[in-house]
Amino acid sequence: MGNARLHTGHRRGWISLIFLVALGTAALGASWFAPYGYQQQDPRAMLLPPGWSHLMGTDLLGRDLFSRMLYGARLSLSIGLSTALISVLIGTVYGAVSGYVGGRTDNVLMRWVEVVYSLPDLLLIILISVLIGRGAIGILLALSLVSWVTVARVIRGEVLKICTQEYIVAARAAGAPHRVILFRHILPNTAGPLLVTVIYRIPAAILAESTLSFIGLGVPPPFSSWGTLANDGWAAMKFYPHLIIFPAAMIFATILAFNSLGESARERLDPGRTGTRRG
Amino acid sequence: MSPKHFLIIALALLVGCAQAEGDRRETAAFRMNLSSEPPTLDWSLATDNVSFDVITNIMEGLTQFDKDLHPRPAVAQRWEVLDGGRRLVFHLRKDVRWTDGKPVTARDFEYSWKRLLNPATAAEYSYFLYDLVNAKEYNEGKITDPNLVGVKALDDFTLEVRLIAPRAYFPSITTFMVTFPMRRDIVEKFGEQWTEPRNMVTNGPFRLERWQHDYKVILARNPSYYGPPPALERVEMYVVPEPNTALTLYETGFLEVVNLPPLAIPRYRGHPEYVTAPQLRGYYYGFNVEKKPFSDVRVRKAFAMAIDKTRLTRILQGGEIPTNSWVPKGMLAYNPEIGLRFNPREARRLLAEAGYPGGKGFPRVKAVFNSDAVNSLVGEFLQAQWREHLGVSIDLDNQEWKVYLKNLKADPPPLFRLGWGADYPDPDNFLNLFVTGGGNNNTKWGNLRYDELIARAAGEPDERTRVDLYNRAQKILSEEEVPIIPLFVAAQNMLLKPYVRGFEVNAMDILYLKRVRLADPKAGRNGGSGKG
Repeated sequence: MGNARLHTGHRRGWISLIFLVALGTAALGASWFAPYGYQQQDPRAMLLPPGWSHLMGTDLLGRDLFSRMLYGARLSLSIGLSTALISVLIGTVYGAVSGYVGGRTDNVLMRWVEVVYSLPDLLLIILISVLIGRGAIGILLALSLVSWVTVARVIRGEVLKICTQEYIVAARAAGAPHRVILFRHILPNTAGPLLVTVIYRIPAAILAESTLSFIGLGVPPPFSSWGTLANDGWAAMKFYPHLIIFPAAMIFATILAFNSLGESARERLDPGRTGTRRG
Repeated sequence: MSPKHFLIIALALLVGCAQAEGDRRETAAFRMNLSSEPPTLDWSLATDNVSFDVITNIMEGLTQFDKDLHPRPAVAQRWEVLDGGRRLVFHLRKDVRWTDGKPVTARDFEYSWKRLLNPATAAEYSYFLYDLVNAKEYNEGKITDPNLVGVKALDDFTLEVRLIAPRAYFPSITTFMVTFPMRRDIVEKFGEQWTEPRNMVTNGPFRLERWQHDYKVILARNPSYYGPPPALERVEMYVVPEPNTALTLYETGFLEVVNLPPLAIPRYRGHPEYVTAPQLRGYYYGFNVEKKPFSDVRVRKAFAMAIDKTRLTRILQGGEIPTNSWVPKGMLAYNPEIGLRFNPREARRLLAEAGYPGGKGFPRVKAVFNSDAVNSLVGEFLQAQWREHLGVSIDLDNQEWKVYLKNLKADPPPLFRLGWGADYPDPDNFLNLFVTGGGNNNTKWGNLRYDELIARAAGEPDERTRVDLYNRAQKILSEEEVPIIPLFVAAQNMLLKPYVRGFEVNAMDILYLKRVRLADPKAGRNGGSGKG
């Protein structure tokens, strides 16, 4: 039975991966794939329902929703990926140092993580983006600055676990310098959980960006992200449902895909912890 | 987590409450929504429409508009125009009473007006009475003795007003809430709390019965009102900021009237309950003429001429009228001949002449507006127009209303969006906005010739000469100097239940509920609610 579950899990993982790769390609090639520009307004084509000339219909200003979704994918995905990478970079160094050095340093560093962790994310992000200013860079920095703590915790835990293993003790006894132990022996062994964490961080960042855009703190017009599109569509929900359905469905599908990919990656790379998250 | 989620929950609660109340409703109550919590019910300090809708139904001033926006006697029975129009004497009715039984006297007016002008009150609408002798000087702190201001109660029922020059429109000024009488004893006794229902004393057709902050305001018929008692026993005003939520409440029969959000208008056009009316409300983008690149009039003209306004109103779909001049349609001195027309070629030429051929080298400037669906639509439209016709990229920024107003006062952005609704139906109200240093002139623009024309026109008794003066002023404003780009004149779009009678829609969006009645509300309500 466990095998069967593993199997379906993997199939789901593959489907998710294919979906995400396709999405990524479409997003990267938005300028080629999109039939219209993201800010091109057509006064004769306002609020059209989905059809052949406009696959997902058009908005109030006569802009093609499909094209805006593609450009939105580019923005949302790149914000998702870059925040994940930045937070992994910060989080890994921070967590590794904390776990490896231990003692009082560990204590201080982890208390700080808890402080950041206990602050409400959204509030902090709003504060930071107000300071930095609206726009993709502001959102990116804001999201990165709050999301590295999770990574730091995971990595610290891994490092602590690995430190107690015999080969590390052996390396220490052999007089290997800290640098070698940390970078050669410990960090490579955290790669599995690290990858899993990254995969989970991406959808979280995409969702956070969408939330920010949804409450009006996201990327400024005329750029579109899925969050801003959902925000625009929300006001029109009652009369022009296509404006909310497509962005919402894409956010949903993408996050679902990242999560199932993460799930199956964990089953493969980090089997020891399978199930703990579900419990 | 988002505010919108809270709204959905609030909607659910509101529907729930309204439903519970709907069952035991026997009295004739008129239910409507307010687009926000009233910021204040103190009529010296109120500046917004929401407060205005409440205050105009619980208070009455010297005069009141009729359906055609002519000022008619209210608390003032009649008035005399003396000294060639420089002195007005209002004779008050003797039967007008406050809700606590005391008579409304000329002294209550004198107190209220002086309070409005007192610099310590810091009322934004203080300039409304600048036509009074010494009013501006007192408000600006140049004189400190309020007794020098041109308003005086000669006795309990006679109010004398001295003006700096003849002002034909003055009886329209006294319809406005900031000129309503006020009780000194009440204000001084309760301080900021005087507008709470348990403290408040008013004189209008309704009285403030309950004010549950951020939820609802309930008005009840005022038994001591001097005029014919209103047909409605109660008015229930629910705070529903989200227009779509309000629309749902209307459709399910929990509101008698609702304003339509722009996206909903095409769906309801032709609907029997759909009501539309033009407004004396202009919508414009202003320049900060002290900031580069808009310090150059050629750039301002180029921006004004690169907007296809008919396309904009087609997008908005709410019956808005595109305009190139500032005085709105329906008002004296409205002149569609004045103003810069859409002319992209000329616009490009001007921009090139100013040193930005094809938009090259144009600095990145910000256009700021207050957060609102229509405003962002207009903003995105203009952004695309300027890009298309001028090759210029503009950044858009939206800010919450109060923050926005503060920024406009402190440091106006290079481009900003504002609207202006008539406080009295006279071109003076629109054109004196942009006099040098005017309280609501955020453009930093000033022109002595313009100021002089406006001042002369305000005191001019002959209508033809007046229109001529305003034409000349409008030419300076929207053809020669262009500190603002007038975009369109707004329209009112609403749904009104068929059983509501006597609901007057006027061009100034003034809500007088005293003549409204409900014909067989029960029948209409069951038809509307369905779910019950």
